[in-house]
Amino acid sequence: MNATIEKHTPKLMVLPTFLILLIISLVPLIYILSISLTNSTISKPFTDFVWFENYKKAFTDEVFGTSLVNTLVFAFSVTTIQTFFGFLLAYAMQQERKLGGVMRTLALLPLFTPPVAIAMIWRLIYDPNQGLLNYYLMKWGLVSGVIPFLGDKRLALPSIMLADIWQWTPFCFLLCLAALQSLPKDPFEAAMVDGASGWYVFKRLTLPMVAPQIIVIFLFRLLIALKVFDLVYMLTFGGPGNSTQVASFYIYRVSFKQFQTGYGGALSILVLILISVLATLLTKGRETILKRIE
Amino acid sequence: MLEAKSTNSLESAFEANEKKTLAFYLKWVFFGRPARIILLIIFLLAIILPIFYIAMTSLKEPIEIRTSGALLPRGEITTVNWVKAFANVPLLRYLLNSTVVALVSTILVLIVAVPTTYSIIRFNTGGWFFPAWILGTYVMPPIVVSIPIFAMVKMVQLQNTLAGLILVHTMANLPIAVWLIDSYIRAIPKELEQAAWIDGYSKFETLARVVVPLIRPGVLATGVITLILSWNEFLFALILTYGVKSNTFPIGISRYIGEHGLQFGEMSAAALAGIVPIYILVFLSSRNLVEGLTRGGVKG
Repeated sequence: MNATIEKHTPKLMVLPTFLILLIISLVPLIYILSISLTNSTISKPFTDFVWFENYKKAFTDEVFGTSLVNTLVFAFSVTTIQTFFGFLLAYAMQQERKLGGVMRTLALLPLFTPPVAIAMIWRLIYDPNQGLLNYYLMKWGLVSGVIPFLGDKRLALPSIMLADIWQWTPFCFLLCLAALQSLPKDPFEAAMVDGASGWYVFKRLTLPMVAPQIIVIFLFRLLIALKVFDLVYMLTFGGPGNSTQVASFYIYRVSFKQFQTGYGGALSILVLILISVLATLLTKGRETILKRIE
Repeated sequence: MLEAKSTNSLESAFEANEKKTLAFYLKWVFFGRPARIILLIIFLLAIILPIFYIAMTSLKEPIEIRTSGALLPRGEITTVNWVKAFANVPLLRYLLNSTVVALVSTILVLIVAVPTTYSIIRFNTGGWFFPAWILGTYVMPPIVVSIPIFAMVKMVQLQNTLAGLILVHTMANLPIAVWLIDSYIRAIPKELEQAAWIDGYSKFETLARVVVPLIRPGVLATGVITLILSWNEFLFALILTYGVKSNTFPIGISRYIGEHGLQFGEMSAAALAGIVPIYILVFLSSRNLVEGLTRGGVKG
């Protein structure tokens, strides 16, 4: 008896996780896949079988198209900016040891600030009448009238991006710093003995050596950025118009505000396919880049 | 060590350059020490400024907030916003709900995640597929599974209860917890466990008595991270709770603002009420947190 338990212990250890994964990924996937073929509503699931009507509808749904474009623009912009500045700051930090402890602790704060609080902070900063940004822009005479950052179709998405950049740049900074510090020291010492200049060492040693990890950081962050929901929900609710409509938020609106869970299911499947394709392409792209560096 | 050297070499490289032309000075200002320090100070201020701003706003007179968005209060500082926020909004209830959900779900996550991670790494349980499945689940946007999760929670009659949210947070945070604990278990030398087996320990005993004590910093970091993720979580709390008795802080406060509106002073105080506990936790465990986050983040 004991021997049997002992033999199967490894399986017993993963059993709860296996069951949980079934409940949170496999069962839901089957559920939305089947519900997407029906005209279900939130109170009456699995009624009115319509085959691929929902998918056809999705391809002609302009708002869905806008939400996909916005999601991609958002995710690629913030990820690029955050990785770039994160790396720049980490490189500077690596050479200024004294600030290290303080900076690391402070860098944790934005990442762990509740998104609802981040939304409140930035709503206050952007407010046309009582906000910090407009107050100083007006005071210093940089603008003639107040700017409705979150109420302007062109400015709303970049304004959300700025809040996101505040939240996530420190995280990219921490990851880049860890990547820089994990580099082997010998090549750098050799370069120093040879009297190579700082710029040369950076270009020829640091950058190529750290590139694989930076690309991983970029991909990791990108995949998280594609999920964007909280800040949109709390800062603009997708508006004005549909200018900040993003995929997650649109699916939420269709499923839980218009109660069309069948259509919401179809949109979910499409978004999932898009993300999987994107992830595969990017991983392939990463391998190509790495080969080129070698 | 290395950092100090590389700075010296940069400067000695400049010293070697005997003709100190304008280009030399420009280069030093833009790429040398001053540039680095200025960059880091800007970074520091950018992190602090928004938090400092709402802290100041929460201490301003409501009339002053309406007329000026200045950073520092001009008049007397006051606690009226704090008093009003706690009097008008059921903040304590929200915070209590959040605390219960975050604590219980974190304990459950750790109980499930540690043995799983150990089994995957040491016994290669589930081969390549299981870890890939866990990672895939983490990458999947939660909104995609929100309809079925909502249906399942309703099926077991746990909608609008803390228990329902606790279960969902436990399941939702499990992938990230496994991902975070992974590198800590990898770092343990196999020989230690083999010695334990020879001493007659079962696999479970080895995990509990040898492995867990060794990865305590990792378990702690993972626990703090999942605790905060649960505290901050928005989407599932949004679709699964709809009353004061089960609303967590993020949903409670955002619903309250949506229904009743809130003056900026009170809003700042309310936001800080949800921020402060997290920041205390971060300051207490910052060293572990940085280690935990960066170990998980950069492995290829």
